[in-house]
Amino acid sequence: MPHFDLALVLHGQYHDWLVAGLRLSLALAGTAFVCALPLAIVVALLRLAPNLALRTLGAAYVEGIRNVPLLAHLLFWYFGAPELLPDGLKQRLYAGNVEFICASIALTLYTAAYMAEDIRSGIRAIPVVQFEAGRALGFGFLGTMRRVILPQALRITVPPLVSQTLNLWKDTSIATVIGVAEMMYQAARVESASFRSAESFAFVSAAYLGVSLLITALGAWYHHRYPVRTA
Amino acid sequence: MRLTFRTALAATLAAVALVGAAHADQLDDIKKKGVIVFGVLGTDEPNSFVDPKSRDIVGYEVDIAKAIAQKIGVKAEFKQLAVAARIPELQQGRVDVLAASLTHNKERESQIDFSLTTFVTGQKVLVKTSSGISDIGQLAGKKVLTVKGGTQEPNIRKAVPNVDVVTFETTQQAFLALQQGKGVGYVNDEASLVNDYAKLGPAKKDYAILPTSISVEPLALGIRKNEPALKGVIDGTLRGLESSGEADKLFLKWYGPTTKLQFDKRSFKIDSDKI
Repeated sequence: MPHFDLALVLHGQYHDWLVAGLRLSLALAGTAFVCALPLAIVVALLRLAPNLALRTLGAAYVEGIRNVPLLAHLLFWYFGAPELLPDGLKQRLYAGNVEFICASIALTLYTAAYMAEDIRSGIRAIPVVQFEAGRALGFGFLGTMRRVILPQALRITVPPLVSQTLNLWKDTSIATVIGVAEMMYQAARVESASFRSAESFAFVSAAYLGVSLLITALGAWYHHRYPVRTA
Repeated sequence: MRLTFRTALAATLAAVALVGAAHADQLDDIKKKGVIVFGVLGTDEPNSFVDPKSRDIVGYEVDIAKAIAQKIGVKAEFKQLAVAARIPELQQGRVDVLAASLTHNKERESQIDFSLTTFVTGQKVLVKTSSGISDIGQLAGKKVLTVKGGTQEPNIRKAVPNVDVVTFETTQQAFLALQQGKGVGYVNDEASLVNDYAKLGPAKKDYAILPTSISVEPLALGIRKNEPALKGVIDGTLRGLESSGEADKLFLKWYGPTTKLQFDKRSFKIDSDKI
């Protein structure tokens, strides 16, 4: 075994590949987070809606998505779903960065299912009298949620949402199977070109850990800055 | 004092490593176990692929592997590997020998040993005719698809410097992505490419294999470094196949005129492990 030489991945071409991968991983996680959070709120509200059909729709979304492995979601959104599009639209999609777009869709839908459940728990943690008070003031279901319940519930939900964001960050690594040149993809490329698996995976492990700790720290700061206000 | 202690420690470790190496002979271990494990792709027709009827892994390299197992007098076992996992799996001892469409090149010689060359193929590019591409040079700036961890990616980047390459876990996923129009070209070993092209059936008319090879790839079996006994028996078996005419028969069985590949004759002999 050649000795462990971290310099190999700290500058030069391999370093550039890995950093390009890190950037794409961050872009993927960022895009999916920004899209998944609002979607998760919508799904959580669906699951608590006064209408049975809407509740069923919300439940179907959550169960349908979270009971299928992420790998299958990625393969479906890349190899399967786009083929159902009309020809013109399909050509336009394929001419662009189809790998990134499909991976963002899969990660968004997948993460939103988990986040929705956490947000639903947060909403249920707010005493029901608050909801009743909102309705008594003349707000509708959505108005009560928006003005009374959600501002409190989302603060309660921050710690589990940090967990889901960490999962999302690490889940971006699976996008390598549909050819997204994220960090694991670039690590494998460095490994094939240099046969230095230890160095290349040490770099990406440190990068995943570093960004994860940063997400945790941001979550802790946010939670401190906007603490839970008990009624 | 500290330095002497370190030197002594290093010397002891070196001695242990040497003794360990001298004792371990992989061929003896294989005989003791009664089984030899070949790492194969299982997704690369006709070298190794799953027979749709029997669900067994069959192919040109599988037949060669079986001949080697027979020569040693043990059972052959096949383990499917991803292209990118081949060399690490061999080095870490999870397979005994690689028979996995493995290119023998200088870079890899520092990592593992190779048997006699068992096949020679060029690497080419399959394109859709609707892309209007008829020469490799026109791929510049376009997206081409291939498998991760093989020689295909570095070779196409060398041949067409600013090409955009997207890689997948298996060649068949890359081929599917080409058919769906997610890239303009699909890079693979010519033998596999011709086979994939044949699979297209009537849709063949919409596809073309670009005439220029991006490289010539000698394929060989991969063996862990410093296993002269195992390499000896493998090369001996291969020489035997060549001299008995069996190698020619195997070539015709998997690559000959009656197969999808329809190669007329062999352009190489199994007689050298030099590249």
